[in-house]
Parts: sequence; C-alpha cells; structure tokens
Amino acid sequence: MTREELKSYVEGHFDGKLKSLDTGRYDPIFEIQPSDLITVAKALRDDESLKMDFLCNLGAVDTCEKLEVVYSVASTTKNLRLDFKFSLPYDNPEVDSIKEVWPGIDWYEREIWELYGINVRNHGNLKQFLLPDDWDQGNPMRKDWDAPDFIRMPEV
Amino acid sequence: MGLIKKLPVYSEKIPGGGLVTTSVETVLHFSQACSLWYLLFGTACCAIELMCTGASRYDFDRLGMIFRASPRQSDLIIAAGTITKKMAPRLRKLYDQMAEPRYVIAMGGCTIKGGPFYYDSYAVEKGIDHIVPVDIYIPGCPPRPESLLEGCIHLQEKIKKQKLSDWQEK
Ligand code: SF4
Repeated sequence: MTREELKSYVEGHFDGKLKSLDTGRYDPIFEIQPSDLITVAKALRDDESLKMDFLCNLGAVDTCEKLEVVYSVASTTKNLRLDFKFSLPYDNPEVDSIKEVWPGIDWYEREIWELYGINVRNHGNLKQFLLPDDWDQGNPMRKDWDAPDFIRMPEV
Repeated sequence: MGLIKKLPVYSEKIPGGGLVTTSVETVLHFSQACSLWYLLFGTACCAIELMCTGASRYDFDRLGMIFRASPRQSDLIIAAGTITKKMAPRLRKLYDQMAEPRYVIAMGGCTIKGGPFYYDSYAVEKGIDHIVPVDIYIPGCPPRPESLLEGCIHLQEKIKKQKLSDWQEK
C-alpha cells in the first residue's frame, strides 16, 4: 500500500473517525476526537489490511493555545506508518490510557503526564519518571513554564 | 636550601656513583603530575573526544594519564559532557569519593556554563563549578583532543608549582 492509498483507505474506513490533515509531511497524519481514542486505536490494530501492531512514539505539543497529543503507529508486517493526533484544552487536559491496545505506551504516557501535565486516565502507574527525584517545579515542557534559573532564549 | 629552590634537582658526580639532591616537595609534585589517573566520566558528546584522546592517535598514556573506572583510584575527573541536574549529585558524590589531592577538568561548553543548553533548558546544570571546584576549563564544543592535551599539560604545570603548605591550609 502506498502512502496515498493508505490515506484514502484510512479515511474511507473507521466510520470517518480519522480525518486526514494536509500537512505535506511524509507520513499521513489524521485528526481524531479525544473520546474516540480507544476505539480508533483498537480498530487500527485489528484491521486486517493495516495491522498497526507497533506504537513508535507518543508526543505532546504545546502550541500556546492548546495541547496536542500525537500518536505514531506502524505496522511491522505491512510496512506502513501513520500518525494521529487530537487537541486538548490548556486547563486540566486528560486522555485515556491505551495501554490495553499497545502496552508499550506505558512510559510515554508517564512522560507526557510528567512533562506536560496531561493526566492519563486509567494508567495506574503515574509516578515521577524522568525528572529529578526532588522535582517540585511543575511541568517543564509547557511553554509558560518558568523557574528561577531558567533562561529564555532572547528574541533576535 | 637556596640552591634547591632555584634548581629543583641537583646532581653531582661523586666517585663510584651519582648523588642527587632535591626537595620532597619537588619529587612529590613531580610524581603526582606525571601519573594523573583520571576517572571515566563521559556524560555526552565530549566523551567521544576524550576517548579519542585516550586512543592511540593522541595517546594520553604518554602523559602518565590512565583511565580508572573507580573514583577511589583516580586523581582527576575530566567532566566530559553535559551535566544535567539529575547527574549533578552523582558528580559530587564521585568527587567526594576521590582521595586528596584531587583535580577537576571541565571539558567543553556544557560543563563551563551549560553550553548549547544555556537557554531554554530546564534540565541542564549551568556550569559544574558550583558543584565541584574546577582547576582547568577547556572551552569548545567539543574541544579537540589537542585542546584537552593542552589542558592536561596546564594542569600538570599547576601541580608542579604547588606548595606543600597549600595542602596544610586546606
Ligand atoms: S560541549 Fe558540546 S560537544 Fe561537549 S558535551 Fe556539550 S554539546 Fe556535547
């Protein structure tokens, strides 16, 4: 399946829950609703012609107005890759854990919880992960984060 | 004593052999400077240059510098690489475990002032000199092996110039 075929296949199936975004990037990227996350993840994994069995990455983006969560998945048998993402409000962002679909997402979810303050529902093991043991300064990857010894790059 | 101060090593041919006179201070510091064993402490890309300096092309061993994997056997830490806030207590601990006299070389921009991570970084310690006392700073990102060698030679000169009385004061 080429990337173009993948794009139309994904858009045509899954009840239109994945909307393709034309960003011109290499791998197709889709937008979903946060509430559809578990359904979409399961469908992508179980679909016979996609078989997305591997979660490559989970990332979060702070765009200063909202937070975005981006999932990158791949199929090791069909040689396919795609990303899907959704936006969350800046205050009290919450996502569902998809550990039941791809167990390898465990640490990534802890990471976005710790660095972006995105609460992961039903994760079960959200505890201090990458930051120093005595860290008490909040979520450092948020754009509005500040600390006494944090030096912002001057505007040029 | 006046002669010894001017000329650290004084030798004289006497019938049947040689006679060498010197001061304890000179011998002690000469030997310290010529057998600086350094702790393997590479935390980022600068460590690659450190390894290169230790390998055959630049041959650190000819300065009497041999790497040790234990702080108990080392005289010197070459802090080669980014020191994050999480790593800082470990660096201090390793430094504390070394026997006196001990020296620190800060290699690369990261250890001097945070280097490329000076701005916009929540994780990187901005200079290791508020964790451990630093003897020699080697700027660069990363410094070439030649710079590291020169830094080590400067450290050797510094050690040779030391006075025993400096240690008593500490
Ligand atoms: S100074 Fe440059 S080369 Fe050295 S550790 Fe830092 S970033 Fe890497």
